[in-house]
Amino acid sequence: MQKKNVFAFSTALMIAAGLPLAAHASNSYTVDPPHTFAHFTINHLGFSTMHGRFDKSSGKITLDTAAKTGTVDIAIESASVDTGFAKRDEHLKSPDFFNAAEFPSITYKSNKIKFNGSKPASIEGELTLLGVTKPVTLTVTEFNCGTNPMSKKDECGAGATAHIKRSDFGMKAFLPNVGDDIKLEFEIEAYKD
Amino acid sequence: MHELLHHPAVQGGLVPFFVALLVAELLQRLRLSGLAVAAGFAVTVYLVVGFSFESLTAARKIVLLGLAAPVATVVLMPFNAAWVRPLLAAAGGGAAIWVAQRILQQQGPTNMFLWSAGIALYCGWMVYWMDMLSAHPARAASAGVALGLGTGAAALLGASALLGLYGMSLGAAAGAFLLIQMLTNSRLPAGRPFTLPLSLIAALTGMLAVLTAELPWYALIALGAIPPVAHALPVSEKSAVWLQSVLLSAATLACAAAAVFLTWRVAGAPPL
Repeated sequence: MQKKNVFAFSTALMIAAGLPLAAHASNSYTVDPPHTFAHFTINHLGFSTMHGRFDKSSGKITLDTAAKTGTVDIAIESASVDTGFAKRDEHLKSPDFFNAAEFPSITYKSNKIKFNGSKPASIEGELTLLGVTKPVTLTVTEFNCGTNPMSKKDECGAGATAHIKRSDFGMKAFLPNVGDDIKLEFEIEAYKD
Repeated sequence: MHELLHHPAVQGGLVPFFVALLVAELLQRLRLSGLAVAAGFAVTVYLVVGFSFESLTAARKIVLLGLAAPVATVVLMPFNAAWVRPLLAAAGGGAAIWVAQRILQQQGPTNMFLWSAGIALYCGWMVYWMDMLSAHPARAASAGVALGLGTGAAALLGASALLGLYGMSLGAAAGAFLLIQMLTNSRLPAGRPFTLPLSLIAALTGMLAVLTAELPWYALIALGAIPPVAHALPVSEKSAVWLQSVLLSAATLACAAAAVFLTWRVAGAPPL
């Protein structure tokens, strides 16, 4: 009986010791909020395409370029929506659109990154907006890693785009006058942990 | 025609008005004309956002309660005991907390308690006082017009067109109910099928506009004064219905105008 316990303890120790080694295979990054923005464009009454962005976001990214795997976990503050016109921003925060009081966060989570060579090409994940979660694939338009010449820290930066229909997430006010199709563009910079 | 139905003035004004007019006339013999308000509200919801309940947001909870309230009143019709009114008021207060639950959960304990107490009191008050008007169709309809238009206009200025249209639809539907009485110089049966959905939807819409948009909380005091004013105004029930309606509407619309003015001072013009 005692022999059995010693064996189990040794096995647990071996597994625990092995975990950090496995974790080292992928690099973990923390999003740099001043250089990370989610932009959106939407048709306004058929006349023009309006642009807006969210000023506050946070999150973590892991990348294992050797194994070609990674994860993305980003949270965007709904109330930080900014279109350059305060009155419209208040409207966008209201229950008509982003409903920021009820749903303070928009999240994007993925554990499936597809690589083209050594660089991520697309990210298959789930976007949660207004409490509705739908699959959304981001197309990575640029990806660069290196040492930041200012901070001297290792970091990666990327650009990504996606298209969604706001009605899929229950955002149906003023359809079809205010467009249903939304183009999302992300610029992300993240420091290596 | 399709484009016309996408215009907010049609969605929140014309369509609920005519639907309420039709329902009030058709259900008069069944003494269910009061359902006109719920019908007007339902058609606006259908035109603006549709009947989707995924995910169950506060605005969708209002729709759900707005549709459930007429059913509850029909069930409660045989009961006219004294306990029904306080029970409905308490249910109205509980409904407010349920609707705002997700917003309240994000507050600290003090704010959560104060906000919960405030919204429950407002909704309970509104349901209680509107229920006092249920046996007085001209008073109920005049108060309904003012409450709907006041809540709608204030919510619109407070930066939520959706909540604004919800309120406007109530005002338009109550207006149709009032117009029939004025033109025919006779009273339509209002009852709880009229007052409960109207008071509940208007109160919940007003409190949600405070919590999620820019409607100042004190605008609710002006809106909350509408049913007591309609109840207390010394207008003879024996006078012509049109005269009663004009006098009652003038007094209650003044309260609504005060709420709109208070909101305008804070929020300014609506976003376009």
